[in-house]
This record gives sequence, C-alpha cells and structure tokens, in this order.
Amino acid sequence: MAPAEATRQQITKLIENDEIVLFMKGTRGAPQCGFSATVVQILDTYVSEYATIDVLANPDIRDGIKAFSSWPTIPQLYVKGEFVGGCDIIKELAVSNELAETLGVTPAPVVTPKIQITDTAANILRALQAQHGGPDRSLHLSVDARYQSGLSMAPNQALDMAVESNGVTLMIDRLSAGRADGITLDATETPQGPSFKVDNPNAPQPKPMSVQQLKQALDAEESFELFDVRPPEELATASIPAASQMNEQEAERLESLPKNTKVVFLCHHGLRSQAAAAHYMALGFSDVYSVEGGIDVWSQEVDPSVPRY
Amino acid sequence: MALQIINAGPPAEEIIEGIRKCILDAIPGAEIEISSGGPGHFEIRVTSPAFAGKSRVGQQQLVYGAIAHLMAGNNPVVHAVDRLECLTE
Repeated sequence: MAPAEATRQQITKLIENDEIVLFMKGTRGAPQCGFSATVVQILDTYVSEYATIDVLANPDIRDGIKAFSSWPTIPQLYVKGEFVGGCDIIKELAVSNELAETLGVTPAPVVTPKIQITDTAANILRALQAQHGGPDRSLHLSVDARYQSGLSMAPNQALDMAVESNGVTLMIDRLSAGRADGITLDATETPQGPSFKVDNPNAPQPKPMSVQQLKQALDAEESFELFDVRPPEELATASIPAASQMNEQEAERLESLPKNTKVVFLCHHGLRSQAAAAHYMALGFSDVYSVEGGIDVWSQEVDPSVPRY
Repeated sequence: MALQIINAGPPAEEIIEGIRKCILDAIPGAEIEISSGGPGHFEIRVTSPAFAGKSRVGQQQLVYGAIAHLMAGNNPVVHAVDRLECLTE
C-alpha cells in the first residue's frame, strides 16, 4: 500500500530539511517507547542537534513512513535523506564504531576503561569464569545509557574490549566502555549466592536543593513535583503541605510523567530522598533534586512551626 | 468498545503461507524458511542471489517491503518479525 502522495511529499520534505531526522514515538525529552528511547540515548552521545518527528502526533506519517522506508517499525533514522535503519541496526552501528561516520561526525576515540575489582569479587568471578566460561564465552560488563550496570556470561563479540583487574578479565562493549571508566566492582557472598555491587563515578548524581531554594520555588509557584518519601507515621508528625506523600499511586503517576519533569524529593535528613532521587534518575528522569538536610533543616531555617522529631 | 478476542486471527500456518507467497512475489526463486514464535510473531530466513551487493538494511527492506501490508494497521496479522535473516547463498 503506497502512502498517499501528500504524505509522501511531506516525508520527503522532512528528511531533506534536516541532516539527521529520527521518526520516533514521543519526543526527544520524553520518548514513549523503549526502542525510541534507546535510539535517542545513543544519538545523544554523538550529536547535540537532530530533528525528531513524533509519529504518535502524526498518524499519517506513522503509517506513511513505514511504506516510504519499506520498514515495518518505528523508530527510523534518516541521515542526509538516506534511510539508516531502526533500533537494532543503530545499536549495531554504535557498537561496531561505524555510527559516527554514518552521522557525519568525528568518531570519539575509544579509550579502554580502567576498572577495579575487589578481592572478594575477583574470587567469585574467577570461579564463574572457570565453571561457565570458555574460549568464546566470557564475563561481560555492560553499562547502559542510564548507568545501570549488568554482568553476564555471554559469547564474545568482535569489537569487545578486554579489561583486566585483579587477575580477572572482563569484556566490555564499545558503547559501555565510555561509561565504565573508573568503575569499582565489589561483591559479597550471601546465602542466595554472590551479590555484586558496582560503584560508577560517571553516573549522574541527583542535584542538591537547599531548603531556601525549595521555599523560593514554592513561593514562586514554579512548576515541579515535590514528593515526601517518608512513611505516613513520620508525615503525621511533621510535613510540608505542598509535598505529596510517595505511595504506590503516586509512584505510578510519577513514572507516567515526561522524563524531563522537574522532580524534588524530601525526607527527614536527606538520605532517603537521595536514594529515591537516584532511583528515579536510573529510571530516566533527568531533572531530579534531593532536599539537603530534609524537613529537619526546613523546620530550623524556614518554618519553625513544623515540629522537629 | 469492541472486545478483542485473543488469537482470533487466522492460524499461524495460513499466515506463514501468506508471508511466503508475498516474499516469493517480490523475490522470485527465493528460498524461504518461516517459523512462528507465538501469536503474531515470526522468524524469517530468506536466501536469494537478489541480496548480493546490497547492504543489510537494503536486503531487509526488500523483504519488509514485500510483507509491509501484512504488518500495517492497528491489529495486523503479522505483529512482529522477531528475527529476519537475509542470506545470499
């Protein structure tokens, strides 16, 4: 089924107007599907400016682009008017280091990351490698665009980099490599088996917000989401009326919001809010704050009518 | 809103025959293997000299172009091609 001539002309114009055009579900700031989100994350590491077309807002283009490209799925990437591919192909091009050339940018030099493996982790990994590894299978460390790490036993890929620490060799793919430099890999033995812990200094940290900044933002009626992550008993003792109590319904509502929504977390002293903020950053939220010192400092410096406990 | 009945589409064998016919129309003489990996999901392997000299994307576009109409619309008979291999021999 050929797309209507008008749609075809519209698409031709779109791919001629900009050098790099991504047809996706949602927007760059708020992708509405995992495949689109993955491609945005990859492109963001290469280029700062590119055009995106939200097919969910343009049903004609959504159907039209599939016929136009002879490609059944969204997202679809066009560079200089040429169809490049969908999510899988873009990932492959990134891993094989061909994407920079495809996008017409200077490829970033790929530096072998330095990682540190603690003694406990090294012992466990050596045992795993001996038991499950082989000439073509090794331990792989991956770090995705949200800085979530993964450790797996997998077949070796042509362009994997071997990184050695404490007598253990880990394979790291090229996309992960840039995000893995400086990682410390630790482990503890538990009755359920080994539990690994990755400390990655490259992971973005939630931003600190002082109680004064919070007060200002509330007074100015800025648009943002404020969540108190303490349990109901503590909220009953002391609370800020503007803050919503984090619970299942609120968590669900937050997760459905655009990922560029400004989100602020509050707790008693600032530790639990920091953990909550880190959690939502890992889920892809980009503008996340934790209130320093929590409601305790709020009652000392902003509103003495809020009891301390 | 109408209730959607799961698996109300044609049986997998029938869809597979449909896919095969469409690919053969587009790539005469191609050797085609299709398996179903669950309702609406298929894995396809096509072998044809017609792929020679084409990029991987170009090869897959040949196949996808042939079955695009089976994947179009809101409730298509082919929901997803989980794997598409294009070989020249």
